[in-house]
Amino acid sequence: MSSSILTPAKATLSFRVSQVPVRYAGRKPEASGDPKKDLIRRILYPSNLRNKPTPVGTWRPEVGHLLQRAIPSKQAHETIERAWNLHLRHTRWKREAELARKFECMRKAMEELEKIDSKLYMGANKVEDPRVWTAAELEKSSQLRGAEKRAFDWRIRGLFPRELRLPTDTPSRNGWDYQWKPLGESV
Amino acid sequence: MWVRNALSSCRRHPRGPFHPFSRSLATEASTSSPVAPPESSLPQTSHPKTSQRLPITTAIILNRSPLITRTPSLFERAYYAYQARIQRALHNPFPYEFWFKEGSPLETRFRVEDMKRERKAFGKPFGMPATDAEGNVVGPTYEDIGLQEEDEESMPRTHAVDTQGDVKSLDRKGQRNLYLLIKAKSGEEGEEIWKFPEGGLQKGELLHEAAARDLTAVCGPYMDTWIVSRKPIGVYNPPSSSSENSKSFTFFCKAHILAGQVRIDKKHVLDFAWLTKQEMESRLETDYWLGVKDILSDF
Repeated sequence: MSSSILTPAKATLSFRVSQVPVRYAGRKPEASGDPKKDLIRRILYPSNLRNKPTPVGTWRPEVGHLLQRAIPSKQAHETIERAWNLHLRHTRWKREAELARKFECMRKAMEELEKIDSKLYMGANKVEDPRVWTAAELEKSSQLRGAEKRAFDWRIRGLFPRELRLPTDTPSRNGWDYQWKPLGESV
Repeated sequence: MWVRNALSSCRRHPRGPFHPFSRSLATEASTSSPVAPPESSLPQTSHPKTSQRLPITTAIILNRSPLITRTPSLFERAYYAYQARIQRALHNPFPYEFWFKEGSPLETRFRVEDMKRERKAFGKPFGMPATDAEGNVVGPTYEDIGLQEEDEESMPRTHAVDTQGDVKSLDRKGQRNLYLLIKAKSGEEGEEIWKFPEGGLQKGELLHEAAARDLTAVCGPYMDTWIVSRKPIGVYNPPSSSSENSKSFTFFCKAHILAGQVRIDKKHVLDFAWLTKQEMESRLETDYWLGVKDILSDF
């Protein structure tokens, strides 16, 4: 981090210098022992002699100067923050409105289903416990091997599959897998 | 506890005593009279008579989720850069000796890159390498680490098929949600319309099971799909033109495609496409679109 402020501030600083109360004074480093431990000790417990800034932030004299350079003004900063919060609020409303629309569709569908056929309705409302495996599933899993076993185990009833990927910043090198074959038809 | 709440929220208010079996019997009796065939021209596999008893069609909304994150807007990028500048001004001095070995090439590289970031954040007098009395540069410069740049090149965010406009490709529009649409002949007139893959319901089958079976029947088994839930996410009843007062219902089930591609037999299904919500509007019939648009994701 550079403290390369070439021109000293002419006006008196209106920012309080960042200070943290400390109890230990500057001391000679203990030359004996593990250099790594000494390094860690030096980083975590710097001297409080207030002659230069430290990584833990016990004394930062140049914060005022740097902040003056980083932000245009207090009012401008507040305006930017308010604009950002407004933007967040609008995206949140859009997201919530979309979810509300989708939920309303789902609710109407369930309402219609209840009116039409109550067996289907009860079947749709049944909650599956992802922890429970039926005897048939256990037996099938014990008989499969390798990629087939993995493909079967990764599909737990009532839980999302492991193949469901999160979006990344850039797509994968191989692109979409168009050559997928179902179980039992390998290669 | 939440199960009971979910169930009660799906019921109408106020609640009387619940009679499941009487209602289902009533439904079966009324639909045993001749009923117009459901809105699908797809092959009914084993029991054509029983599947036409209930006026229910199951359709699948097969979704390819976004592959890459959304591009931040101009305002978001500017705000993130502004916040990064403030953080750079206020954060504590970086403990080089803790993170890097003294004088190692990695430290040199980090110092040079950090100077560049500082220059970018604050402008020219900041982040310039220090010079001694004669004006010669002291310390490492960009040229020192130039030949060590061996970063792996990441793939570009837009794929080749984005420019070609190939609507069958699953690499297209990585940021968006893509949905599968099928072009099939509908009804007796035989006109070709676009719609979601659908099929009838067999006796004793639940909605999500029927949806899975219909999907493999229409689109082939060469897709790794996952049906999200037993519950349908939407319902569509077309404005019925038939004289009987039987309405047909299409229940939509949501599924994700994880790998593979659609393989259609050209006899019943003529064409398929993976489209975003906005692209679908022009292809679907107006009634169908209005019934379906709230189920889909906007982006």
